[in-house]
Amino acid sequence: MPSALKADGITVAFGGVVAVNDVSLDVEQGKILGLIGPNGAGKTTLFNALTGFVTPQEGRIYLHGNEITRLPPYMRTRVGIGRTFQTERPFEELTLLENVLVAAFLKEPKRKKAEQLAMDVLEKVGLADRYDQPALDLNLARRRRLELAKALAVQPSVLFLDEMMAGLNPPALKEMIEFVRRLTDQNLTIVMVEHIMEAIIELSDHVIVMANGSVITEGLPRDVIEDPRVITAYLGED
Amino acid sequence: MKKHYFIFAGLVLVGILYPQMFPGYLSVAITLLLYAGWATAWDILGGWAGQVSLGHASFVGLGAYFVAVGTAHHEIAPWWSILMALVAAAMLAYLWGRLTFKLKGPYFTLSTIAIAEIFRLIAINEGWLTGGATGVFIMTLPEPFGLDLFSRQVNYYLALAFAAITVLVVMLISRSKFGYQLRAVREDEDAAMASGINPTTVKLKAFMLSGALTALGGGIYAIFLSFIEPHIIFYLLLSVQIALTAIIGGRGTIWGPCVGALLIVGSGEIFRTTFAEANMLIYGLLIMVVVIFMPRGIVGEPARYLIRRVYAKRAQG
Repeated sequence: MPSALKADGITVAFGGVVAVNDVSLDVEQGKILGLIGPNGAGKTTLFNALTGFVTPQEGRIYLHGNEITRLPPYMRTRVGIGRTFQTERPFEELTLLENVLVAAFLKEPKRKKAEQLAMDVLEKVGLADRYDQPALDLNLARRRRLELAKALAVQPSVLFLDEMMAGLNPPALKEMIEFVRRLTDQNLTIVMVEHIMEAIIELSDHVIVMANGSVITEGLPRDVIEDPRVITAYLGED
Repeated sequence: MKKHYFIFAGLVLVGILYPQMFPGYLSVAITLLLYAGWATAWDILGGWAGQVSLGHASFVGLGAYFVAVGTAHHEIAPWWSILMALVAAAMLAYLWGRLTFKLKGPYFTLSTIAIAEIFRLIAINEGWLTGGATGVFIMTLPEPFGLDLFSRQVNYYLALAFAAITVLVVMLISRSKFGYQLRAVREDEDAAMASGINPTTVKLKAFMLSGALTALGGGIYAIFLSFIEPHIIFYLLLSVQIALTAIIGGRGTIWGPCVGALLIVGSGEIFRTTFAEANMLIYGLLIMVVVIFMPRGIVGEPARYLIRRVYAKRAQG
């Protein structure tokens, strides 16, 4: 399988603090990469560097072989990157349909077609019956699904999910895991930052573990979580 | 949306018949229509894109000066000078936005006051270009198709056309891709970028359109006044009034700025004649009441309430 997303030696520093230190990764098309690590490990910063919201000091990023290191976030969206935000960011004054419509307009500039696309995506995430509800009034699980719908409506080839599972109750979690799994059937590549191990183990094809800005280990999910270095990173030395 | 076009057609019809019904109240109506147009144009940037400007008097002034100086000093017909003013206003808005859109929220607003003040000083001090502090008189105007541009009737229909054009532009935008880009940028620039939107480009387009339309009204204003003074036309108070009209009526709504103009110009007129001295007091109280109890404006507040109630009802039943 060809590489969908590749990063070489990404380093991000804020002032003197090195948040991400020389991280490389390579995700094949249609696969799911899980990104885990304790709080403050640099996952979200790496995530933001890959999606363009933070500029790395060093390193290069490639999407389907084309370098995107210097592209601003909106250009990355246009070339095929979709993302969700850790704290959901719906356009609160707009209805659910309008929220997704904003994203759908990217590939479908005509109102009718864009609306159709937005409605299809809402259908997929199970929010279609609420299409005319203002986004302000949604509960957490539905806000998550709306966030996902917005990311899908730009019709990305690589999808970045930032802690989509956090705080969901067990049935909602199961639903979300099932949903994400089905996305890869359509050849979508996924990078997910996640704390919920159940989701990581069930979904990831490959896991990268970060601590203090660096990769401490990587591999298959089952192997990685039993690695003593990972346990130490999460729980500390005794 | 159809409903809006019906309201629009109805209002334009009323507007066309108005001079026959109230020939004695044309000046008030002209002021009202100009404010409705300016506030609607302001709202493209201030309401739909969420960038509050307190410098829109600059665009009024630009349009007014192009027309006045054009006819008084260079014998340029007002339709040509208005056209030039539109282009100049769009160019000005582009440069202005490039310079200030890095600033967020109140800082952007403050910068608009500062830039508008620069234009006021230029208008006052660069007499060779603007006629200086004494202002410019429009003594003669061409008579296209035998129309006397100095007549109140003609002024009125120009102002009506201006207000109608701005509202129509906003109606078209509100359902378009551009309209949704504006709203997305207003709500959350990062989330807008994640949807592939370049916030700076969207804000620049909004500013250029808003500025050009405001200048169009400024040109008509100059013909209506036939004498313009830099102190008045470039003054901060005019910028504030334009912004206030839109905010009170309801930012980011199609009809809010028009309702705001009706309230502010209308009540201003009534209070001035009935309450004389107390008029500013009542005017101020009115603004306070609206801002405190209807923060989204007279149109915005009930519209929002209605949408949520309709949805809640359907969700229950």
